[in-house]
Amino acid sequence: MANTSSLFAQNVKPGEKSVRPEKEEEITKALTFAIGEQVYGIEIPYVVEILGVPKITRVPCAEVPYFIKGIINVRSRVVPVVNMRSCFGKEEIEYNEKTCTIIVALNDITVGLIVDEVLEVLSVMQKNIAKTPDLNNVNENRFIEYILEMNDGTKLILNIKKIIFDNEF
Amino acid sequence: MSKIESGMESMIDMYIFETNTLLEQLDEILLKTEEAQTFTGDDINEIFRIMHTVKGSSAMMGFDELQLLAHKGEELFFIIREKPDNLSDVSFVYDLVFRMSDLFKAEVELIQGEGEYVATDFSAVLSDLEKGAAILTSEGGVIPETASLSSPAASGGGEFGEGFMTVRIYFQEGCKMENLRSSMLLNKIREEADVKDFYPKDLEGDPNASDIIVEEGFTVTFKADPEENGAVLKLIENAINVESYEVIHNNASGQSGSDQVAASENENEASIAAAVSLPTDSAATSGASVQSVVENAPAPVKIPSSDTAAPATPTSNTNQAAHLNTGKQSIISVNLAKLDQLHDIVGEIITTESMVISNPELEGLKLESFLKSARELKKLTDELQDTVMSIRMVPLAGPFQKMNRIVRDMKVKLGKDAELKIEGESTEVDKTIVDSLNDPLMHLVRNCMDHGIEDSVEERLEKGKPAKATVTLNAVSSSGEVVITVSDDGKGIDTEKVLHKAEMNGLLLKLPSEYTEREIQNMILLPGFSTNDVVTEFSGRGVGMDVVRDNIEKCGGSLTVESKHGFGTTFIIKIPLTLAIIQGMEVKVDDTVFVIPISTIRQSFKVQNSEIIKDTQRGEMIMIRGQCYPIMRLHENFAIPSEVTDFEDGILLLVETDGKSACLFADRLIGEQQVVVKPFPAYLGRYNIKGAGLSGCTIMGDGSISLIIDVANLIEVY
Repeated sequence: MANTSSLFAQNVKPGEKSVRPEKEEEITKALTFAIGEQVYGIEIPYVVEILGVPKITRVPCAEVPYFIKGIINVRSRVVPVVNMRSCFGKEEIEYNEKTCTIIVALNDITVGLIVDEVLEVLSVMQKNIAKTPDLNNVNENRFIEYILEMNDGTKLILNIKKIIFDNEF
Repeated sequence: MSKIESGMESMIDMYIFETNTLLEQLDEILLKTEEAQTFTGDDINEIFRIMHTVKGSSAMMGFDELQLLAHKGEELFFIIREKPDNLSDVSFVYDLVFRMSDLFKAEVELIQGEGEYVATDFSAVLSDLEKGAAILTSEGGVIPETASLSSPAASGGGEFGEGFMTVRIYFQEGCKMENLRSSMLLNKIREEADVKDFYPKDLEGDPNASDIIVEEGFTVTFKADPEENGAVLKLIENAINVESYEVIHNNASGQSGSDQVAASENENEASIAAAVSLPTDSAATSGASVQSVVENAPAPVKIPSSDTAAPATPTSNTNQAAHLNTGKQSIISVNLAKLDQLHDIVGEIITTESMVISNPELEGLKLESFLKSARELKKLTDELQDTVMSIRMVPLAGPFQKMNRIVRDMKVKLGKDAELKIEGESTEVDKTIVDSLNDPLMHLVRNCMDHGIEDSVEERLEKGKPAKATVTLNAVSSSGEVVITVSDDGKGIDTEKVLHKAEMNGLLLKLPSEYTEREIQNMILLPGFSTNDVVTEFSGRGVGMDVVRDNIEKCGGSLTVESKHGFGTTFIIKIPLTLAIIQGMEVKVDDTVFVIPISTIRQSFKVQNSEIIKDTQRGEMIMIRGQCYPIMRLHENFAIPSEVTDFEDGILLLVETDGKSACLFADRLIGEQQVVVKPFPAYLGRYNIKGAGLSGCTIMGDGSISLIIDVANLIEVY
C-alpha cells in the first residue's frame, strides 16, 4: 500500500485536517475534477495517482451495484473502479481522452474513481470554506465534506470515507 | 495498565511467538508424560526451564500477572524436582498445569488482540497452585533431599574457593541402605552448612549407589565457617552407623568430587545433570533460590538455561538437551506479512516476465539470443517461484499435535477411553492454510470423541472392537492437494436418525426415499443440524459442522463425510497445497476471460446440437457415457452479451467438484496457464461475489484481469 502511494501522500495524513486554524493558512490541498458542469474536489492526502481509463474487467455478479464498473490492474494490484457520474445519479457518458481514473486510498482500501476531467490542485484556505448547514442530513449531499467558494466558482470537496464505506444507494 | 511499556512494541511479536512456542512445548511434554504417568528428570527440568523462560520474558515485557503465574508454576515444579517421591498422585498436577497453560494461552491471545490489554486476575489458579505446592511439600515424608539433578554437576573445581571442605564418609559395614543413610546425613549437614557437591549423585534412584558408598565412601563438599566446619564434622562423627570419615580437602579445591562425577557417571546422566544445572550455585539449597535464578538469568532469556551450562560439560551435547536446541539455530522466524510481500512480488515478476517475453511489439522479429536469454530467465523465475512456495510450506505436525490435547481433555471429561493416532504429520501445506485448519480440525476431533465414539465400553466390546477407541488423523498429499482425514472407529452415522432429524428440521428438499446414503451422511454438514439430543460442553449446538465446512471452503478446500454405521466415521478434508498459484484453463466468453481450475476439468469437447437434451423448462442437458449432465451457459450465467450462443460454435467443458458435476458452455478455449490467484479487492468484499461462482481474479500476461471460476459455487448457483 505504502509503496504505491505517490509523493502526494506524504505531506498530510488523512484525518489530520480536522483542526482548522482560523488564520488565512492553507489547510490542505485538493485535487479538483469535473463531472458535467460541477466541479468537485478530493483532498490530496487521499489521492494516490491519476490514470487514464485502463481496461476494465467487469465483475459479473448481480450484487455488485451498477456504478462499480469492475476491476482494473494498477501495477499488479487489482483495484475496483467506480463511475462517479452514475454514482452521483448522472447519466454515464462514453469515455474520451479527457476521462480520468483517480486512484484514492483510505487505510487498506484503494478505489479508482472515473471522472470526466481532472482540473487542478488548489489550496484550501479556511476563508474559502463556505458556512453551510449540516450537509450530512441531506441525502444527496452526504458525500460532500465541505464547500469551497472560490473566485472561479463553487467546488464541492468530497468525503472519501463516505464514498468508500457508505455507498448504498 | 497500558498495553505495553514504551519501547517494547517491537519486542511484543517476538514475545508472543516465543511464549506460544514454549507453551506448545509444555503441552507436548505434559501429554507425553501423562501417558507414562510419571515425570522423568528431563521432563521436570524441561518444564522448569519453560516456566522460567516465560517468567523471565513476561517480567521483561512488564506483564506482572503472567510473571506471577509462571513463577508459581515454576515453584511447583521446583518442589517436584526437589522431591520427586512426593509425587504419588500426578493427576492433579496435570490438571493444574494444563489449566495454567490454558490461562497463559488465553492471556497471550489477549495481549496479541486488538484494543487495550487488561491483565486478567489469576488469583484462583494462583491459590490452587500454592495449594498444590503445599501438598507436594508435605506429602510423603520421604527424605526430601534427593535432589540429585539440581546439584550443579557442571561446576568445576575452580568454583570451590575459600572455606570449602570435602569429607569422605564411610558407613559401618553391613549397616544396609547406605544410600538412604547418606541422604539423611546430607540433610543434616545442609542444616549446618552450604553443601556444594556430593557423590554419588543419585542416592535414591541409582541402585548402585549403596555399593559405591560401601566401596568408595560418601563424599560431601560443603562450605562453612571454620568454626562451623568443626560442628559439621562433629555431626558426621556422631551420626548413626558412620564408621569413619576423612577430610580430603580443606580450603582447597573440591576437584576430586567433581572429577569423580564426570568420570564415573555415564554420559547420559551427566548431560542431563549438566543441562539442568542452574546458573547459580545456591539453586540446590532452598526454595528461595528460585528468586536468585531469575536475577542471574540473562534478561531476554533467549537462550534456554541449558545452554548456559553446556559449555562447562562437553559431554552434554549428546542427547535430549542438545536435541531440543539444535533445531532452532538453523531456523529463523519471519513475519508472515513479509513472506506474503515476497510472494506477491514474485507473482508480479512472473507476470511481468511474460509481458516482456510475449510482448506484441516483438512479433515477427528474429530474436535468437533474446529468446535464449528469455528461456534462461523463465527457468530462473520458475525456480524462484518454487523456492518462495516452499518457504511458505509448513508441516501439519503443529495443528495435529494440538489435537492430542483435545483428545486428552475430552477423554477425561467424557470418560471415554480413546487414543489419537497421527499419521503423515510431516505433510506440508501453505502456512495460511495450516493456520485456518486449526479450528476445523478441533471441531472434527471433538465430534469424533463426542458423537463418534460409543458412550460405553460394553457397546464397543459387543461389536468386537477393542475397548480403547482410536481417533486417527491422517494427511497425504496427492496431485496438488492435501487430503486430511479425521476418522474414528465409533458407531458411525445412523442414516435413519439423520434423515429423521433432517425431516424434522425441514432440511429435506426431496422425498426421503430419494436420498442416497452418501447424501444423507453429508447432511450432518448442513447449517442447523445436530443429531445429538443433549447439548454438551463440546458439541451439540448444531453449529459446528457447517462452520467447519465453511472454514475449510474458505481456504479453498472441501469437506465430505464417509461413514459405515456401526464401524466408524471418516471426515475427509481436501485442501489445495497452496492458495496462491493454480493451474488454470483460460476460456473466453465474448471479451471476458475466465480461468477454470484445471483440477476440476474432466473433459472438454465439441457437440452437435442434436446431442442436446432439452427438458420441459429451459434446462439443457447432455448425455456423456450414459450419464446426464446439466449444461450451464457461462454467458447467460454471468450476463455477458456473447455472439456465440449456438452449441456448435462454442465448446463444452465437463467440470466436477465435490461429487457434483456440470457442463460449462464457453465461446472458446484459450489455453492452459499457471495463474497467481488474487482475491477480489476489499472494497468489493461486501458483495457476495463468491456466491456468484467467482473465487478471485488473476492478472494475465498482457496486464488484463481475468476472473477465476469457483466451480463448486457455480454449480450451486445453477
